[in-house]
Amino acid sequence: MASKRALLCIRSYAKQTHSLNGDTDVGIEPDELDELLAKPSWSVESLLPPKNQAPDAPTVSSQQLHHLLRLSALPPPESAEEEKTMLNTLSAQLHFVGEIQRVDTTNVKPLRAIRDETKEAEKEQMVTMDTLSKALAQEQIIGKHHKRIQRKTDPVDAKDVESWNVMGSAERVAGKFFVVDSERPQE
Amino acid sequence: MFVRPTLAALAPARPYICPSCLHRATFQPLISSPYTSALVATRRRALHTVGNPSTDHDAPFRKTLKDAAKQRKRERSGDSVHQASKASEPRLQKWELTVGIEIHAELNTARKLFSSAASSTNDAPNTHVALFDAAFPGSQPHFQIETLIPALRAALALDCEIQPKSSFDRKHYFYQDQPAGYQITQYYEPFARDGRITLHPHDFPNGISPQGGPIAIDIKQVQMEQDTAKTVHQPPATHLLDFNRVSHPLIEIITLPQIHDPTTAAACVRKIQRILRSVDACTAGMESGGLRADVNVSVRERHTQAAQVGNSYHGVTGLGQRTEIKNLASVKAVEDAIIAERDRQIDILESGGVIEGETRGWTLGSKSTKRLRGKEGEIDYRYMPDPDIAPVLVDKDLVAHLQSTLYLSTDDAIKMLTEGEEYNLTSKDASTLVSLDDGARLEYYLDVYQLLHLTLRSRPECLRGAGKVTGNWVLMELGALFKNEIWSADRVPPNQLASIISHLLQKKITGRTAKLLLSLKFQGDSRDVAQIIVDEEMALQPLSQEEYIELAQRLLVENPNIVKDIVEKKQYKKVKWFVGQMIGKAAEGKVEPIAAETVIAELLNLPPGKLK
Repeated sequence: MASKRALLCIRSYAKQTHSLNGDTDVGIEPDELDELLAKPSWSVESLLPPKNQAPDAPTVSSQQLHHLLRLSALPPPESAEEEKTMLNTLSAQLHFVGEIQRVDTTNVKPLRAIRDETKEAEKEQMVTMDTLSKALAQEQIIGKHHKRIQRKTDPVDAKDVESWNVMGSAERVAGKFFVVDSERPQE
Repeated sequence: MFVRPTLAALAPARPYICPSCLHRATFQPLISSPYTSALVATRRRALHTVGNPSTDHDAPFRKTLKDAAKQRKRERSGDSVHQASKASEPRLQKWELTVGIEIHAELNTARKLFSSAASSTNDAPNTHVALFDAAFPGSQPHFQIETLIPALRAALALDCEIQPKSSFDRKHYFYQDQPAGYQITQYYEPFARDGRITLHPHDFPNGISPQGGPIAIDIKQVQMEQDTAKTVHQPPATHLLDFNRVSHPLIEIITLPQIHDPTTAAACVRKIQRILRSVDACTAGMESGGLRADVNVSVRERHTQAAQVGNSYHGVTGLGQRTEIKNLASVKAVEDAIIAERDRQIDILESGGVIEGETRGWTLGSKSTKRLRGKEGEIDYRYMPDPDIAPVLVDKDLVAHLQSTLYLSTDDAIKMLTEGEEYNLTSKDASTLVSLDDGARLEYYLDVYQLLHLTLRSRPECLRGAGKVTGNWVLMELGALFKNEIWSADRVPPNQLASIISHLLQKKITGRTAKLLLSLKFQGDSRDVAQIIVDEEMALQPLSQEEYIELAQRLLVENPNIVKDIVEKKQYKKVKWFVGQMIGKAAEGKVEPIAAETVIAELLNLPPGKLK
């Protein structure tokens, strides 16, 4: 309901501006809205290969599939059927990626993370003498003829991050160590 | 053996000499009994076998030891790698070696890189692990800005340009010592680029650089990254993991492939380690695993068209296919591994084969590198910017401040000590002085020198050569006393050593007395040096010319054989024996060696300039 009201507000504003230039009515009437919103004009399905047509993405070989699974530490397929399903899914996904890559992104820097990138934020995040003052105070200059910097190695209190049960969730422990078995023989 | 303790007990009080060396050098058994004389006889017989120095009765026993050491060294230096390399000299006319080095060094910080857990070296396992270090699901990285201080210092000491903005990336691979499944490193935007390191002749072991003058090696970049866990391997297939070291900050220093000689590569690694240590950026050395080197080795034919040889790296073109040798843990290993790999590659290419781009490993004592991973085992790291970590922005005032607190670099210190008339040390001495005891020895030397200058400012003629004399005392004399102990500047306080040297330079005491004084102070005599000289009457009252001549003539008469050796057989070195006798016969501190030598030379009518 709120969206319809918003649309009506916009429409009335549009009507006002138009009345300055002339009396052309280019808006959408409220009763046409339902019809407009009934049929989707775009669907994600358009990015997937159509079901009755072979995908036009480059095919992935079985060797490549196994290489990718190894890189991702995923288990290999247990039967030829499973492998075929995996390859088909992968093919469809590559088609999807291909469609996305058709968007023109010249002069658009890729997004790495959503961050505050304003000038003020930059100034706040900058590492300066002030922000490092405590650490710089932990150094001393030794020698008077041949001066050298040396960090004072007093023990550091990190109890707030270190005091939790480190070994608590491990399946196997040996004393204070975690234990890992490697299947591949050590070269 | 009961003979040994007796010999030691009967020997006059002098520095401890091991009984078997003493036994070897003496020629008369002091206790004669059938058992011992038989023993000595067999010992003496054994001395004449090959490889053992024969006892020349006239030669001093120190010379015997030196000859033995030389012989042993000659035998030992026939080790496989260097012999092989000598054999391949002509091949090197045809093939040129190219080496690039990647060094990983642990930074000297209080806390880790992405968590505020404490950094540690040998603490109890798994006691300094934060949630993020163990890659606990849901934990987030917290970049510790204090880790930038040693990192920036290291980059500045290597002459790099600090990038105002740098970011972290993930390098994905699975291994048990990396809980997250990726290592956080700086692949796309490192924090420092375009540095340079210059190797001077004094950075090479025998003072000679392979290309004559200084060699400059460019550094492509310096980046920060995480360290992995420590693994203790329990055969056959069990690994025990200690996560204390996970996320400890490392810097990776990547040089361009501009090194063409194994000794240059070894000198480069040694120098980088020294530089990092001198700015307190990386204090753990290669021996303790705090610094590791990987090298990339390739060969190419000299004088070929660049177009024929395909590979290039960051602007250096025309390179052959390279192989990577990982995890070299000492400077010697770097040199040996490069020589072995170069020879292996030349062998393959000369027999018509092709070098595969693979990763190889080296164990100390082996003759060739071993393959670790081939092309099929090559890992695709799928680098990606880490979305959880904000970019690092460094203020230029901070960089300027850190640059100003770098103080004197080792190269500048060596330049100051060797050039000009002030200190005038040899390049070898300067280099040793600067590197001993983390700069503490150099501090002591400069302190002593300044005090000496102050004491003798009214007698500048005595100060001539004072720099060299002080260097000799700090490095050789005092250094010898400290041989098995940790250096301490308080053992012989600088003003005391300055006092000894100033007395010596003013010729108020002899060299021998000065050494005695040093050893007394070293052993804890709390009296002031001047006081000791007065108490023990060590002041040099030089003999008059008549007294010198009288003493010398007496000795010459007593030893006609040796006089004959000198005059007729021209064995001029034996004049020194007379000098020694004169010093021994006169009271402590009365005879000066140079004056004595001159007198003897005059008396024997030796041509001038024949003495050394």
